[in-house]
Amino acid sequence: MRNASDPTSDSTSDPTSDSTSDPTSDPTVRTDAGSRGRAVLLAKGIGLLVLAAAVLSFPSLAPDAFILSVGVVIMSYAVLATSWNFVGGFTGYISLGHAAYSGLGAYATALLVIHTSLNPWVAMLLGGLLVAALAVPIGIASLRVRGASFVIVSIAMVLILLLVFQSWGEVTGGSNGLRVPRPFDESVLRPEQHERFFYLHVALLAVALLTWWAIDRSRFGTGLKAIREDEDKAQSLGVPTFNYKLVAFIVSAFFTALGGGMYALWFGFLDPIFQFSILVGSYMVLMSLLGGIRSLFGPLLGAVIVGYAVEFFKNQYGDTQFHLVAMGLLLGIVVLFMPDGIIPALSSLINRFSPQAASIREVSAGELAEQRRAAASEGKDLDATEAEPTDSLPEGAKR
Amino acid sequence: MKVTMHHRLGVLALASCLTLTGCMSSGSSSSGDDGDGPITIGISLPLTGDFSEPGKGVQRGYEAWADYVNENGGLLGRDVELKILDDQSNADRVASDYEKLINQDGVDLVFGPFSTRLVVPAAQVAKDYGFLFVEPAGAAEEVFTQGFDNLFYAAPAVADDHYNYLADAIEALPEADRPKTAAYAAMDDPFAMGTAYGLKTRLEEMGVETVVDEVYPPNTTDFGSIAAKIADSKADVVVGGTQYQDAVNMIVALRQLNYQPKMAAFSTAPTNPEFPEAIGKETEGILSPTGYTPEADYPTNAEFVEYYTEKNGTPPAEDEANAWTTGQVVAAAVEAVGCADPDPECQQQLIDWLRENEVDTVVGPLSWDAEGRPEGAHLIQQYVDGKIRIVLPEDAAEADLILEKPHW
Amino acid sequence: MSLFFQSVVLGVLLGGLYALLAAGLTLYFGVMRVVMIAHSAFLILSAYLAWWFTTETGLDPLLSLVVTVPLFFVAGVLMQRLLISRLRPATLTMMSVLLTFSVALVIEGMLGFVFSGTQRRIRLPYSGDSLELFGANIAVVKLIAFGLAAVSLGALFLILKKTQFGQALRATIQHPDAARLIGINTDRIAGYGFGLGLATAAIGGTALALDSTIYPSLHWHWIGPLMAIIVVGGLGSIPGAAIAAMLLGLGQSLLQIPLGTTWAQTIFYLALFATLMVRPQGFFGGRLAQRF
Repeated sequence: MRNASDPTSDSTSDPTSDSTSDPTSDPTVRTDAGSRGRAVLLAKGIGLLVLAAAVLSFPSLAPDAFILSVGVVIMSYAVLATSWNFVGGFTGYISLGHAAYSGLGAYATALLVIHTSLNPWVAMLLGGLLVAALAVPIGIASLRVRGASFVIVSIAMVLILLLVFQSWGEVTGGSNGLRVPRPFDESVLRPEQHERFFYLHVALLAVALLTWWAIDRSRFGTGLKAIREDEDKAQSLGVPTFNYKLVAFIVSAFFTALGGGMYALWFGFLDPIFQFSILVGSYMVLMSLLGGIRSLFGPLLGAVIVGYAVEFFKNQYGDTQFHLVAMGLLLGIVVLFMPDGIIPALSSLINRFSPQAASIREVSAGELAEQRRAAASEGKDLDATEAEPTDSLPEGAKR
Repeated sequence: MKVTMHHRLGVLALASCLTLTGCMSSGSSSSGDDGDGPITIGISLPLTGDFSEPGKGVQRGYEAWADYVNENGGLLGRDVELKILDDQSNADRVASDYEKLINQDGVDLVFGPFSTRLVVPAAQVAKDYGFLFVEPAGAAEEVFTQGFDNLFYAAPAVADDHYNYLADAIEALPEADRPKTAAYAAMDDPFAMGTAYGLKTRLEEMGVETVVDEVYPPNTTDFGSIAAKIADSKADVVVGGTQYQDAVNMIVALRQLNYQPKMAAFSTAPTNPEFPEAIGKETEGILSPTGYTPEADYPTNAEFVEYYTEKNGTPPAEDEANAWTTGQVVAAAVEAVGCADPDPECQQQLIDWLRENEVDTVVGPLSWDAEGRPEGAHLIQQYVDGKIRIVLPEDAAEADLILEKPHW
Repeated sequence: MSLFFQSVVLGVLLGGLYALLAAGLTLYFGVMRVVMIAHSAFLILSAYLAWWFTTETGLDPLLSLVVTVPLFFVAGVLMQRLLISRLRPATLTMMSVLLTFSVALVIEGMLGFVFSGTQRRIRLPYSGDSLELFGANIAVVKLIAFGLAAVSLGALFLILKKTQFGQALRATIQHPDAARLIGINTDRIAGYGFGLGLATAAIGGTALALDSTIYPSLHWHWIGPLMAIIVVGGLGSIPGAAIAAMLLGLGQSLLQIPLGTTWAQTIFYLALFATLMVRPQGFFGGRLAQRF
């Protein structure tokens, strides 16, 4: 099991490693374990449907516009955390400064809307691309060396951008802040704005999740995960670690910038102090880590929990500085006691009690051998496009 | 079975997400109680975080005003109830606070928060729901250039006009006696910069040469280099666009370099009661604009000072007075129009009334232009014999203006 | 010219303080491969303790060092033994960042909780006094702060060079496995190294409190420049950190003349990026820095 889930060992044995780490992509699985595969597929489909239905029905269930606006904020968090997870989850590089990219995306969108007659959504996309382009040199500088420098650069980016955006008043509005024109006209009242932006954020989140999922199942994703587990080994096994890290970083910056841009269009006012804030960046980390950085839905779950907790704490313990302490303690606890997050922790818990899963955690040795054989014969490109189901490696087991 | 697990968890998460909807709305929505119940007023203030000090001052002012109104028959015969939330000095929070106050708590009226940085996002929310938005702080020019037709600033003058009386006094001097050079250092904050640059514009018009023009970030604590520049320029006048401690730091740094200007003006900080404590006896001659003085003889002021002092033990300062003024302004509109409910029609009537009328307040009679700028000027205070006194304009003066500042 | 000279003096005085604090920060990295985000939070904590000590007792804030230095040393040892050493070695660098970050948040939150967000400043009878030197004015408080920093740096240097503990510490920094092989208890040494680093924060905080306003969120303002300094100086290299601190402190002070306060701060970050582009191991660092 361990062997199968260790991507690095596979990448030596044969180039089609992805299919090993992703045994499902093999048609033989379907014939072998057909009925079970179908059941899982069904369960998965239902799960996904329920999830989508629950998210999409939220606006009509929300009793008032305030709850709706909280929903928008939480979805925005979810977008940012999921975007963050392209770097954090795949490569294991922890960026505390992703607020730099959301802030840049927000300002890029706002400035494009204000100074050009671009459609706001085009401006947002363009803003995302600009930030992605900017992420190239930043990535090169910070990824050339290992973790410590990366973290330092990530924090430095936020601090330097705060300085620049605060001081460069003629362009950015400086400390006066910047009003962002609305994408919808005056007749769209505020509650309806919230509703539209809720769906827009959900759409963006869906795209980000889909991308994450696709990468996760690709050869590229396997290489990235190899970097996370042991960068030296990955490198010696021929994974182009630097390029992989860089691409993941750029994708992450791109989605983060889109998230920032969309938030800017919704919120309508940018102030450098709040855009380029280390706290915002650390929220992304906390959410992803809490939910589980190796899981597709981890950051979303983390965002829902943290977003709700923030509102709850504010309601209960309003006027104190205590929210910082609470967040610090939560982060510390997660780091010390469940660095893999809630989803893996819960999965293994549920697994233990769930009768159907029983003691066989995922794939039996026989199935595994079967998959291997098939994978070897099948060649490279059968990855993600093939079948869905029985992706059976619990994220936690990949340690 | 990871995948199913995932989805089971996803559903779980979403279920909790929906419960959230239920949880957060519990104990809310009291909007249906028009008529006899109390008038609820929603306010978000920075009670923690960077602006917490002035934020708490504003809170004291609001609370004193509400108590005073309730002890004197209420508003439209109804009691006034304040609902104050803490925005943690954060712009995202302030918007969500007003969203909550208006939608969930069903408040009848809203009052403004503190600081320009927070006023703009808050005013946007109020505008979107058609609420009248009278605010006690947020004097910077760009508050008024955003197209908020619901906004009124409840103080005598916008930041740029704070030093007008001082500029007039300097202009009145014979040419030879006027200062020749001036140094400006302002915090990178819309309000603080507004005050310093308002005076800069006026002085430059008179031909006073600007020799230093520095802007420093709000988090600056080391003023050594800025002071070095100012000291090196030997400017006749030093003007600080300051908030609180930055003025203290700057003055200490200037003294360390043994710089002696003929005139020194700092916004906000010198009116703070802790200022003389921090600086010691070297305050003599320091100038500062203020929108309020407890000694002013405007009609309602004596009552305010007496009531506030009795309640809190100390006389009110500017933040408290501006909060009280906000209350007075809204109350005047409510009494005149005869309604106080969240209905856009009522709110629009309140807005229209304030547009047309003048209100007597503890900071003097206030009226507003179309963008909500008050049309007055600030008094100029100066430390004379160790006490802060009004020196300008002459008809309100408690002491004579000292033109040649003693050494500090 | 006098402005230039004055700025040089101010830059050197500032650089001294940066040097002491950066030395502590790079020390943690050396012994543990830990980027200690909470370093500047402890700096502010110590400044608050100095302020609180003076307002409560009326005594000179420098006397608070008698309490804070041992206290911080013990806190550092405990932090290393109880928190940092629990992390998995494989993810130590990343997770320690988050852990120390959370410690920083807790400290900031507690400071706000206990002392409120109000800005504080110690009132000293000699706060405005200055000495004149070749036309430049040197504030007495800044001179004291510099003196403190210089003495502490000197002491740190002597400890590392002359004592047996220092040798063990340097051995641990250079090659932990080899150090263990020759019988050095690297865990204990690392704990003491951490304590030593935190002690520099105690001294730095007191020096800072002499001539500056303090408030809970001030530590963000310090951590950026300090981290830039240790990268430029080479992660883990104490002399490198001290030299980089001096150069950058001086550079910041001089750049303020043409650029103003805000833009002058960017020198730290520009130096950081330039270093990573040109010489990722830092300008004064050894092989160690290359790996991280």
